[in-house]
Amino acid sequence: MAGSNEINANESKTVVPLNTWVLISNFKLAYNMLRRPDGTFDRHLAEFLDRKVTANVAPVNGVVSFDVLIDRPTSLLARIYRPAPATASAAVALLPDLCRSPSPDPFPVIIFFHGGSFAHSSSNSAIYDSLCRRFVSLCGAVVVSVNYRRAPEHKYPCAYDDGWAALRWVSGEPWLRSGKDAKLRVFLAGDSSGGNIAHHVAVRAAKSGVEVSGNVLLNPMFGGNRRTESEKRLDRKYFVTIEDRDWYWKAYLPEGADRDHPACNPFGPNGAKLEGLPFTGSLVVVAGLDLVQDWQLAYAQGLKEAGHSVKLVYREQATIGFYLLPNTDHFYQVMDEINDFVGSNL
Amino acid sequence: GRSDRYFKKKKEKMKRGHQDILHGGGGWYAVAPEMERGKRKTTMGAAEEGGDVDELLAALGYKVRSSEMADVAHKLEQLEMAMVSSAATNDDALLSHLASDTVHYNPSDLITWVDNILSELNAPPPPLPTPQSLPSADAYDLEPLPALPAPATPLVLGSDPQSEVAPSPRDRKRMKVCSSPPSSSTTTDAATSAAAALPVVVVDSQEAGIRLVHALLAGAEAVQQDNLKAADALVKQISLLATSQGGAMRKVAGYFAEALARRIYRPQPRGGVGCCSFDSVAFDDMLHMHFYESCPFLKFAHFTANQAILEAFAGCRRVHVVDFGMRQGMQWPALLQALALRPGGPPSFRLTGIGPPQPDNSDALQEVGWKLAQLAESIRVDFRYRGFVAASLADLEPYMLLDQDADGGGGGKDEEPEVVAVNSVFELHRLLARPGALEKVLGTVRAVRPRIVTVVEQEANHNGGTFQERFTEALHYYSTMFDSLEGGAAAAGADDGGPDQALSEMYLGRQICNVVACEGAERTERHETLAQWRGRMDRAGFEPVPIGSNAFKQASMLLALFAGGDGYRVEEKDGCLTLGWHTRPLIATSAWRVAAPAEDPLSALAAR
Repeated sequence: MAGSNEINANESKTVVPLNTWVLISNFKLAYNMLRRPDGTFDRHLAEFLDRKVTANVAPVNGVVSFDVLIDRPTSLLARIYRPAPATASAAVALLPDLCRSPSPDPFPVIIFFHGGSFAHSSSNSAIYDSLCRRFVSLCGAVVVSVNYRRAPEHKYPCAYDDGWAALRWVSGEPWLRSGKDAKLRVFLAGDSSGGNIAHHVAVRAAKSGVEVSGNVLLNPMFGGNRRTESEKRLDRKYFVTIEDRDWYWKAYLPEGADRDHPACNPFGPNGAKLEGLPFTGSLVVVAGLDLVQDWQLAYAQGLKEAGHSVKLVYREQATIGFYLLPNTDHFYQVMDEINDFVGSNL
Repeated sequence: GRSDRYFKKKKEKMKRGHQDILHGGGGWYAVAPEMERGKRKTTMGAAEEGGDVDELLAALGYKVRSSEMADVAHKLEQLEMAMVSSAATNDDALLSHLASDTVHYNPSDLITWVDNILSELNAPPPPLPTPQSLPSADAYDLEPLPALPAPATPLVLGSDPQSEVAPSPRDRKRMKVCSSPPSSSTTTDAATSAAAALPVVVVDSQEAGIRLVHALLAGAEAVQQDNLKAADALVKQISLLATSQGGAMRKVAGYFAEALARRIYRPQPRGGVGCCSFDSVAFDDMLHMHFYESCPFLKFAHFTANQAILEAFAGCRRVHVVDFGMRQGMQWPALLQALALRPGGPPSFRLTGIGPPQPDNSDALQEVGWKLAQLAESIRVDFRYRGFVAASLADLEPYMLLDQDADGGGGGKDEEPEVVAVNSVFELHRLLARPGALEKVLGTVRAVRPRIVTVVEQEANHNGGTFQERFTEALHYYSTMFDSLEGGAAAAGADDGGPDQALSEMYLGRQICNVVACEGAERTERHETLAQWRGRMDRAGFEPVPIGSNAFKQASMLLALFAGGDGYRVEEKDGCLTLGWHTRPLIATSAWRVAAPAEDPLSALAAR
């Protein structure tokens, strides 16, 4: 079975725990069935296969969640996660308590954009519900997980518009302000496509004079027309392929656009200049076995060259999705980095 | 298989008549396995028995036993190789087959999911049942039946071979409904409800709306604490606050306030029938009809249940459907049509419709049957119908449902036995109002050996905990329900949904009244969650029949056509389908069959 089509499953199996391998391989194979060669997407099967959880105002490990309709015309929902209100110990949190500040002291509000390469998952996907709950416990944050519109049904710039709508909504909620100066301490965070969205919403915020306390980008999804060294070296080796990346960009980007479109390649030939803008500071986490790492590293470099603060965390032996299961050093150490970053920018 | 062994253990426990800790090899449960289930927040299924489920994957919605992890990994590799090699030969057919033709089941049960796909690669699947056409009531002219004048002579038991009446009220009283089993039938499982989620969708985070909810919850608390003076004051405050609200929230608040007031003042029920109820079954059916028209919940219920029934009836020549809540028979035209279009032709179809007694002695149940018979004739489906009047499903006995024409009539010994489907849409929860009633009914169902049992229920716990907890849960549930009615109207471009919406709200309002103001046998709207129903069905000797991706897809497409479909969502959970508004599931369809019989306990032990 030699040849370029051989998938060396053994390689990826040696770098992740077996249950992680099963989880991500399952996604990979399921996702393969959903992408059609003609660019359409089997949305019904995708929704059938996606494991979802409902919100829950009964505290679980001290965290409660509830869903909010942010924008009725687009059915834009967000799931809010927060520390269980003080009044409800084991009892169910009541609505008035939910929309009260968790603390008079400064606390972060993390607007989170889930991953899925712009096409997959939702804010009520189990993998992201789990991650957001962890952020609450980690940082004492209120997390707002945005259920943005997805490709290919909704192309650029829908996801960014939804992200902006979420930031505007958050800005209008008095209970999300904290500290003596009653300030909104908002962070934009996301993994994969969510990281890409966080960047672009942050740009809009910078241009609009909306203050963002920090960006947290986990394996953010960027790309470009040329094939980088990491893409060629790691193609098909660790769950992800160039072919699927191309498919997702084609599904998200406007008709006829190529991957040097600024949405995909913000520091490429068509990118906007960020010099002089009050763009926020960023924590960028890159997995060393992610085939698009060259683009992610170029992104971090681009921010630096534009005069903006970047903390780069490079996890050499990490694959995509390492943050989904709490079973590696990568997971715990990156969570610590996130906590430090948020805490020091509060 | 695995699920067989699981149910074997359940049967042995029941046989021994106690629920001690069972010990032995891995897989025996500690006392009250439903508590275990509640704790793990997973449902019963093959993966739970015989070994530990990987906790990390379980938290993400996948049930995989640790001992099977390597096996699952291997199968995923095999699947990938098959997919890769088909891509190499540029054979998109396989991939598109896997996506569009393969029916996927129960994705949480990962090993079975992969197994199914792998077996698809080796053997072509059997043809799927013809998709049902979208139901359109006007095509079959099932308008609400007008109240018929009282017949000259009262309906006599047994005189009309096609409309049978269950034993008269006097006889029913003499009949022992059931010997009383453990109280777990009407009390809820505390552990499950503690672990159960309470999902909330806030559609209006305005200050006024929040104060209104606050007042409602405070009113419930006051009632809980028997502080009727405070409760009364709060009810008045609620009414005042509600006037400043718009839309769904105002209406929901109105119904909950009224229900609270009824509970506080306990007005005499009309005609002694029970609070918040009307004498006329026809009125009830009329509200039900408008609810059917104005939002997709009942259509979804019928559609998904019919899908499961169609699949269960595949290849059968004689079929029998028992409908626990016949009403206007809205579910059956679509099934008849799908059967008519079946490759190989329709089976001969028998329908038994159960309905409540009509105070005016009209035979609405029979009328519906006649109309369906006319339809069946027009599409050339051999059709027989029998209606049963029963004040409670617990009055049914197996002999009423079994095929009395078998071994008689045409066909004789060579004739295929009848394949039975039992269908219950929003009927089972009523039985929880009387101890033992559900067990009796499920026993009757088991006794007719159905191929499939389809159950649709509200996805909420309105039957547990304290009054205050019930009130809170119901408030969130019906707020979402009412919002979906508003959302549907708005999406259709209407300022309001007209009489359909108003009457649907009344239909729901009566449920609210029952949940809040009634107690004991009168409180029939005892909704419970899918997780709770799974426990009940399991204990009654049923195992789940997963509903697959084809039904999911078709239901989703049906919703897309429904104005206001944007907010409606179909979800799959452990083989069942739910329909919800935004992220809140509101009703759930599940399918069941009788679990495999228990083996000899000693050989089961040896096998471990």
